[in-house]
Amino acid sequence: MLHTEDLSVSYGAVQALKSMNLTVPRGEVTAVIGANGAGKSTLMRTLAGLVRPQTGQVLLDGVSITGKKPEDIVRMGVALVPEGRSTIPELSLEENLRLGGLWRDKAGRLESQQKVFDLFPILAERKNMRADTLSGGERQQLAIGRALMSDPRCLLLDEPSLGLAPLIVTQILELVSTLAKETNIAILLVEQNAVTALRVATTGVVLNLGEVVKSGPAQEISSDEELRHAYLGY
Amino acid sequence: MTNFVDYLLGGFSNGAVIALMALAIVLVWRSTRMVNFAQVGQAMFTTYVALTIQQSTGSWILALVVAMAAGLVLGIVVFFLVIRPVKNSDSTGAIIATFGVLIALQAGAGMIWGGDPQGFLTPVDNSGIEFAGRIWPISLYDVLVLVVTAALVIGLTLLFTKTNLGLSMRAAAFNPEVARLSGVRVNRMLITGWAIAGATGAVGGVLIAPVSTISPNSFDILLVFAFTAAVIGGLDSLIGAVTFGIGTGLVISLVSGYSDSGNAPIVALILLALNLLLKPDGVFGHHGARSV
Repeated sequence: MLHTEDLSVSYGAVQALKSMNLTVPRGEVTAVIGANGAGKSTLMRTLAGLVRPQTGQVLLDGVSITGKKPEDIVRMGVALVPEGRSTIPELSLEENLRLGGLWRDKAGRLESQQKVFDLFPILAERKNMRADTLSGGERQQLAIGRALMSDPRCLLLDEPSLGLAPLIVTQILELVSTLAKETNIAILLVEQNAVTALRVATTGVVLNLGEVVKSGPAQEISSDEELRHAYLGY
Repeated sequence: MTNFVDYLLGGFSNGAVIALMALAIVLVWRSTRMVNFAQVGQAMFTTYVALTIQQSTGSWILALVVAMAAGLVLGIVVFFLVIRPVKNSDSTGAIIATFGVLIALQAGAGMIWGGDPQGFLTPVDNSGIEFAGRIWPISLYDVLVLVVTAALVIGLTLLFTKTNLGLSMRAAAFNPEVARLSGVRVNRMLITGWAIAGATGAVGGVLIAPVSTISPNSFDILLVFAFTAAVIGGLDSLIGAVTFGIGTGLVISLVSGYSDSGNAPIVALILLALNLLLKPDGVFGHHGARSV
């Protein structure tokens, strides 16, 4: 379980996150939704260690990972799939995957790789191709696969739908939510595309200007018309 | 025609050394996206270290190995001297600082070993090989230079393509953020890049020293040639550095043979200018990889 306590982040005078309390339970998908600038990406980058919080704590199964470096946080079990180009196009698909868990022993790596190939069979077929020859959907699967190579306890997905066809996004996210249930991983999904996100998530969290304005069962959030109009714009 | 072939053959071993220096420049570029102008200064310094070892022990192999080790260490030292203080502010500052390191190394070498050119003994014969009734412009030593260079290039290629360390280094170079998120200790990879570059340059220095003699400034011209080769090769391509390093060696040999060796640097600079006009990303470069 990933858990934040009073997490605050500022960029100069701008406060991007305001004492945020968030719980991401294992075995399910928690979706954080909100408009552009709500602080979604800042939240993810802070959890992964790319941004240092001014105050508050991040706890992974009760152990603080606050202020640690990203390379240590991923080793402790929190893996981020960042927004956009998060595969390395100059490397082959297999190298991109291998990169995700280089510090682990070989047996563990191969086991994770097999799990990734079972989850995304298309990646096994394209194993030796350069990442820049893959389609957008394949690249997103590869990015998620790379994160899974670290055998995470918590997976952070930042806007996986960006630039992808809705059908592909739904397919990928459904696979991911099944994975969460089967392997008891805590998944935090950040999305601008609220409809898709809430469809696969168990819990929904609505973010606005760095604050949680509402959280609850995903279905409840998606049927709350007032909330939708006010914060999600549809 | 005989002249042409002879000039061409005579350029290979010089080209191999230029290739090594270009490789060193490329290795640094790949790790920190900047040109280290102190690279030849580091090679000069480690070659003096090798000279001292050779003079006291008589062993060329030992001198080479110690020079490589000194190159590794010096690469790390220069990284910490130059990169750490200015890295976060501005990379232009760091590049200028490498010039400072170059001057300091030259002055330091002059103080320790004196300014007079010194000879460096070859481990094997350096006169033209006699074969098929004539003397060829390639010596046993040239062959050794080519073999050592080839071994080093193959070793580096295997390191980068087959090992986890090499994968980490490439990832850190191509996309530091994704590398960090994957658990790669990026800063350590950058330092490793500088260290390997230092050792590669050191090998180049030891190999060229018997042919050129060594003085604090004797490698300066090598910087012009190596930089040309590295830039034409695309700055981040190992194959590019080696190909155009050897190519530059051949061109220099031809220019020197047909006109005067003093014209070689001018021709190198003309090639560099043409390259920047016609194909600014370099022949083997990744498009848009350069941020200058």
